[in-house]
Amino acid sequence: MPQQKIEIETTKESDHYVLSPSGDLDVYTVGSLRDTIAQLLEDKVTRLVVDLDKVPFMDSSGLGALMGGVRRAREAGGDLAIACTREQHLKLFEITGFGEGVTIAPTVEEAAKGLRSNS
Amino acid sequence: MRFSLRWKIVGGYSLLLLLIALLGWVTLTLFASLRNVQRSVFNEAIPELVAVDEIVRSYTAQSGAVRGYLIGSNPQLINQYNSEVANAQTWQGEARRLLKPRRDKRLLGQLVVSGRQFQELVDERVIPLASGGRRSQAFRVLSEEGAPLISRVETLGGLLRRAQDEKVARSETDIRTNANRTIVTLVLVLIGALGIGIVLAVVLPGRLVANISTLVEATRGIGRGDFNQELDIHSGDEIEELGTRLSEMQLGLKRLQQLAFQDRELEIAASIQQNLLQRTLPVVPGARVVPLQRQANRVGGDWYDVDYFGRTLTVAIGDASGKGIAAALMGTVALTVLRAERRLGAGPKRAVEQANRALKEATDRDAFTTLIYVTLDVTSGEMRWMNMGHPPPFVLRSPGGGEAPRGHYLQGARNRALGWFEDPGLGETVDSLQPGDKLILFTDGWLEAKSPGGEIYGEHRFAEDLSRCATADSALLGEELVKRVEAFSAGRLDDDLTMLVVERSEVEMVPAVPEETREEVGEA
Repeated sequence: MPQQKIEIETTKESDHYVLSPSGDLDVYTVGSLRDTIAQLLEDKVTRLVVDLDKVPFMDSSGLGALMGGVRRAREAGGDLAIACTREQHLKLFEITGFGEGVTIAPTVEEAAKGLRSNS
Repeated sequence: MRFSLRWKIVGGYSLLLLLIALLGWVTLTLFASLRNVQRSVFNEAIPELVAVDEIVRSYTAQSGAVRGYLIGSNPQLINQYNSEVANAQTWQGEARRLLKPRRDKRLLGQLVVSGRQFQELVDERVIPLASGGRRSQAFRVLSEEGAPLISRVETLGGLLRRAQDEKVARSETDIRTNANRTIVTLVLVLIGALGIGIVLAVVLPGRLVANISTLVEATRGIGRGDFNQELDIHSGDEIEELGTRLSEMQLGLKRLQQLAFQDRELEIAASIQQNLLQRTLPVVPGARVVPLQRQANRVGGDWYDVDYFGRTLTVAIGDASGKGIAAALMGTVALTVLRAERRLGAGPKRAVEQANRALKEATDRDAFTTLIYVTLDVTSGEMRWMNMGHPPPFVLRSPGGGEAPRGHYLQGARNRALGWFEDPGLGETVDSLQPGDKLILFTDGWLEAKSPGGEIYGEHRFAEDLSRCATADSALLGEELVKRVEAFSAGRLDDDLTMLVVERSEVEMVPAVPEETREEVGEA
């Protein structure tokens, strides 16, 4: 399937990075998010917050990439938390059960506070 | 420097035209130069020569006429003398006008002075002496004083004549020099024109033909299916451009070939999936199962499974995250494990647990599968279902008495998606399905359909539309919903739509299905 680029703003905070994708996070665009997370982990950046504020739509591929990111970040000794207030995304986390065990907070700051320290 | 083919041709011919113009200019210069020389000879040197000759001849004639008069006393000779005096004056005037060099003017001045002195001698002494009868004395004066003056006139005339002869000789040398220079220039220009002509006529077309031959060879290679042709053309013109485009076309064809191979592989994958999953639906007394599936691609991650054994109807619907072959393979893994576990006599919980384990081991870290697993006792109507991270099922309850069915999502135990968690939870919900009730299982493609404005179809619209279609026959319910979702998304559905409608019907007695007659149903 043809891959499309999604713009992902990466901001460095004191002890973590914030990733802010803009646009739909679906099977066509999910590669960008997956690649960005993989690159940061490769650069030993393991504490990440993904802000879904500018993601109007997310399907199972987008959710899968986020959960894959959580798993990889934790394996690297860090964590990935999610900042989200969109009901549709929260519902997706709730239905699939991924909301459990992953930090999901309404703001980036709160999500950052919920980042686990595994290292 | 890069020039287009057009500019190369235009430039080449312009250069040739320039050379022809140069050739013309050189030729014209030659003629102009010759004409200048000609003008200096015919317009200046010859008339000057004539004037000097006439002056000298006139004075010689004057001397002769006076001398004749002294001998024969013929008065006509005096007239002739006077006529020659006038003649000498005329030519002296002409010579003054023609002669330009200072030396010539000086010589002419001296000649005129000598002439005037001769005329004064004749007029003032010789003729008066002769008229007075003293002819011998007159003759002596003429010989002693007049002859040297005439001799001087002749000497000066000779010097002037020599100067004019030199001018003519110089002109001839000029003509020769100019002619030689012109010939050399003409030869050089001709050689240059010939060289450029050869470049234009042989080298340029040669390079052009060589590049075109390269293109033709490459095209033949591509025609034979060899998409690794190397085109190294750096002519900087349209031929290079053509080479670049051909290389791009070659890449495109290579990509198309790869896609064709992939398409073939996809076809094989779809065929395997169909062969593995497609079965005839079992005949279930007391229940009716109507499946509907619209796949966005040839293979997809949606699947369902229907099985009937004993008095139990098992219905499962699943959705593997993502799309394409990867999702289809995940679906195949889930379905295969569920079926295998059932055949081994495992209950729903065990089957789902094993499916989770298999998916966790078999799939990558970003993938997961959601499913709903339902068992229905077709005799009692008892229904047990497990929701593994899937959108909840919908039910249309028949109130009886001819009233329209009422629909709602079924609330119950929620578990987590398969393939990701060690323990996804195996909570089960017990419910019942009465005759006339319709259980509707579906995948998220329905809820995630988008309008052209980006609005999501969502569970509320889905519930409303299902309720509106509640009276429709189970066989038509799914199609009716497809129409509504397609209308909402303006025909642009890019996810799979899968639905199972399970309708319970009245039965007096339901015979148990023996093991050997079991049939499984599935589709992806």
